[in-house]
Amino acid sequence: MTSGFGLGLRTEHYNDFLAEPQSVDWLEVISDNYMVDGGKPLAMLDQIRANYPMAMHGVSMSIGSIKGLDTDYLAKLKKLEQRIEPMWVSDHLCWTGVHGRNMHDLLPLPYTDEALQVVKRNVEHAQEVLQRPLVLENVSSYVEYESSEMTEWEFLAEVCQATGCRLLLDLNNIYVSAFNHDFSASSFIEGIPVDSVMQFHLAGHQDNGDILVDTHDHPVCDGVWDIYRQALLRFGYVPTMIERDDKIPPLAELISELDMARAIADDVLNKKIAL
Amino acid sequence: MKLAELQTTFQHALFDAECTEADWISESARGLSSRYRLDVYHNAYRLRLIDVLLDTFEHTAIYLGDEWFNKLAADYVQTHHSTYTNIGLYGREFPDFIAEQLADDLEVSELALMDWTLRRAFDGADSTVMTLEDLQQLASAGSSIGLQAVPTLTTCTQHFNTLDIWHAINQDETPPTVEPLPEPIELLIWRKGHSPHFRSLSKIESAAITCIRSGEMLDAIGAILEKDFPEDDVATEFGVMLHRWLDDEIISL
Repeated sequence: MTSGFGLGLRTEHYNDFLAEPQSVDWLEVISDNYMVDGGKPLAMLDQIRANYPMAMHGVSMSIGSIKGLDTDYLAKLKKLEQRIEPMWVSDHLCWTGVHGRNMHDLLPLPYTDEALQVVKRNVEHAQEVLQRPLVLENVSSYVEYESSEMTEWEFLAEVCQATGCRLLLDLNNIYVSAFNHDFSASSFIEGIPVDSVMQFHLAGHQDNGDILVDTHDHPVCDGVWDIYRQALLRFGYVPTMIERDDKIPPLAELISELDMARAIADDVLNKKIAL
Repeated sequence: MKLAELQTTFQHALFDAECTEADWISESARGLSSRYRLDVYHNAYRLRLIDVLLDTFEHTAIYLGDEWFNKLAADYVQTHHSTYTNIGLYGREFPDFIAEQLADDLEVSELALMDWTLRRAFDGADSTVMTLEDLQQLASAGSSIGLQAVPTLTTCTQHFNTLDIWHAINQDETPPTVEPLPEPIELLIWRKGHSPHFRSLSKIESAAITCIRSGEMLDAIGAILEKDFPEDDVATEFGVMLHRWLDDEIISL
């Protein structure tokens, strides 16, 4: 498995990556930003890809849509996948709209057997098109449904077991959802099958007092670093990245935050070996 | 509640102007009401789409000012659902919406259409552009020459001094007072290298561009221009235009 520490590629940092080698092992690109006909986005992507391994991360597959997947979207995704030959292709365990409408948000699913069957069907469809295991990310959520029959981690484990898909564990999302829904982040981590995790996301959020909002515009907080330590103990070295989507700081600042992840991983895993 | 009903109900709840309580949302954790929880999504849906409009229609937003633009954008979001997976395409109908809403200030919709078209040229399809050498080779081969516009090339018509307004905003200057033009102008928009470009067209160049987009061969374009512009030195003007098109990278192989 590819390991190392990555960053999300953002337009603000194109010139940094083109100018000189950066202390980043790989880059994650938002697939949807490059599913365009041409121009600068694809040209930059090709140039930067020449020097960095990449993972593709999408936001619009709507894997939980009861209506099934958009075949045009999948075809464009496959075309991009063939262009940049990523390490893996991920999207979110969510739905983004129905009846031909797109809410452009990562809306949570009810954790029911019915939703499980829908997600299994859609994951299998995506994997058939992509000809590789799909990687699914847990989302932050602000609502839970009366109809849910299992926990989010039980749902994720079932999807992995049934389809062979893998997981991108967003540790900030676990932190945010655990606070918002008053569950234990440790239970989430312990409920995920050890061999199913392909990647970690580390990110920041906004604290509104009675609810946390996953804004990805802050540095990683202490609580999320704590979850990272727990995740390292359970899953070992997993490719890890800092995800910042708004209020993008200079690249050096993100690399400094990534170095903190490196140091924590070394510390936790060296101690584990010593034990 | 079954999944289909839940997704439809949730979506309608976000589309509704007012966020309300929802009995399908659990209130067991932290004592927060369903309305409070749903409101996070309700607000985010609007803010996200308004942000996209602000990003796409940058000059229009500056021209109108934050308050006026945000009001128009919020009204657009409330009346136009996105049917696109690419969120960048959400503003496709915004120039027409502005024309309806601000029927007495049509320079605003012209500005919005210009913003929109330039943005679409930015990530429009690539093509191999024709060089002077390519054209000379085709000419020396003796066959009829067809000219094909690059995929990002488009034109739009302006009836006001919108171009001057755009330039002023782009240079952080106070825009001039809006004035109707003596006669409408055609604006050519395309991408050269990585950058969207635009310029106004003379009548004869506008006619020539129309011919290219209609698939007319080079010889036929000359004949059409000779017929439609009998007062002009078409041979000279056409030669100048051809060189400029090649320099501007608006002709593809």
